[in-house]
Amino acid sequence: MSETFTLAEATLKAIQDRRSIREYSPEPVSDEDLNLILEAARQAPSGENAQPWRFIVIRDEATRKKLGDISGGGSGRRFTAEFMTKKMQQRFATLEDEAKKKAAYEKLTSGAVSMFAATAPVNIVVIGRKDVWDLPFDTSAAIENMLLMVTALGLGACWVIAPCIDVRDEIRLRKLLNIPDEYKAVSLISIGHPTRPHRPRPRLALKDIVFDETFGNPYYKE
Amino acid sequence: MSDKAISHEYLNGLVFDLEKAFWDERGRGCRFRMMEVGRDIYEKDCKDRIQSPDIPVIVHAVKEVLIDKGIAAEVAFSQEDLTLRVSVRGCLHLPVEERMLEKGIEPFTCVPANLIIMGIEDKLNRQVELAEIKCENGVCQLLLVVFDRPAAVV
Repeated sequence: MSETFTLAEATLKAIQDRRSIREYSPEPVSDEDLNLILEAARQAPSGENAQPWRFIVIRDEATRKKLGDISGGGSGRRFTAEFMTKKMQQRFATLEDEAKKKAAYEKLTSGAVSMFAATAPVNIVVIGRKDVWDLPFDTSAAIENMLLMVTALGLGACWVIAPCIDVRDEIRLRKLLNIPDEYKAVSLISIGHPTRPHRPRPRLALKDIVFDETFGNPYYKE
Repeated sequence: MSDKAISHEYLNGLVFDLEKAFWDERGRGCRFRMMEVGRDIYEKDCKDRIQSPDIPVIVHAVKEVLIDKGIAAEVAFSQEDLTLRVSVRGCLHLPVEERMLEKGIEPFTCVPANLIIMGIEDKLNRQVELAEIKCENGVCQLLLVVFDRPAAVV
């Protein structure tokens, strides 16, 4: 028997059930689902209602592979730098399983951790007009709306910064997708049907992140 | 427009203000946005000096430009496989990084490093990462890692 939820309960469930999904079945994402995801993005708030976001839908196999390559290149470089400067080893210091640690290092330094755009049935590249006040905040609001709709539809997605965070990769991406200079490439959202359930990541407790009236004064008392 | 010479102190003061503003805006992520700083210098002064696609040739060409322009006093490097260690002595912008360090902010951008990286990406078509910048006793130690991945989008 299906559960019923109030609107608030359903909204919170979508928020809590959202996961970053990087493995997808070959099943395509339907046009109906894609339309709902894009509609959710379109309804996000933006400073002065500027709506600076634009979305490039990528399904072409060759382009998806290039997105994966750009993402993998960026991640591989960044994580190799972490490894070479011993920061990665510090990050994994508490992981006792040496085989798992080695596998993690390999996945990160090779860039494989970010190459899944190649296997996602659809990728959406989110870009935003630069001539607005609040570009990063507006586009992030649109992206989160997309992720929640993805979750509500039973799909899985991952918000990927790897192909855009380094300006050189953003240049590569802009060239690949003919993005004009007036727009910034903000992120890549890879979407598909998840192959398996994922556990939630740990979260800081509310009592540690909320303050009453001024910083440092706990809102939630013990 | 005045033809008075502008002091390094004034220019570096502006560079510090800009770097600090960028750090305040992006935090650790700002280093990824700085890799095109120096592009004009590379295109106008370094690119044509590089006579062959070899890392020592590239570093030497950049070194000549940096010293000729008074940006650095000396540049030395060593290479082990795909790791380059570059030391820059007497960089014009070192006071900026020293002020950043006083604020507890690790250096996140380096024009000499960027010029070498641009040269490798351009002439060797290889991706490069600036893994580390350490500034001590008037010398900046740079760690660069060269990758097998092509720099150009195919």
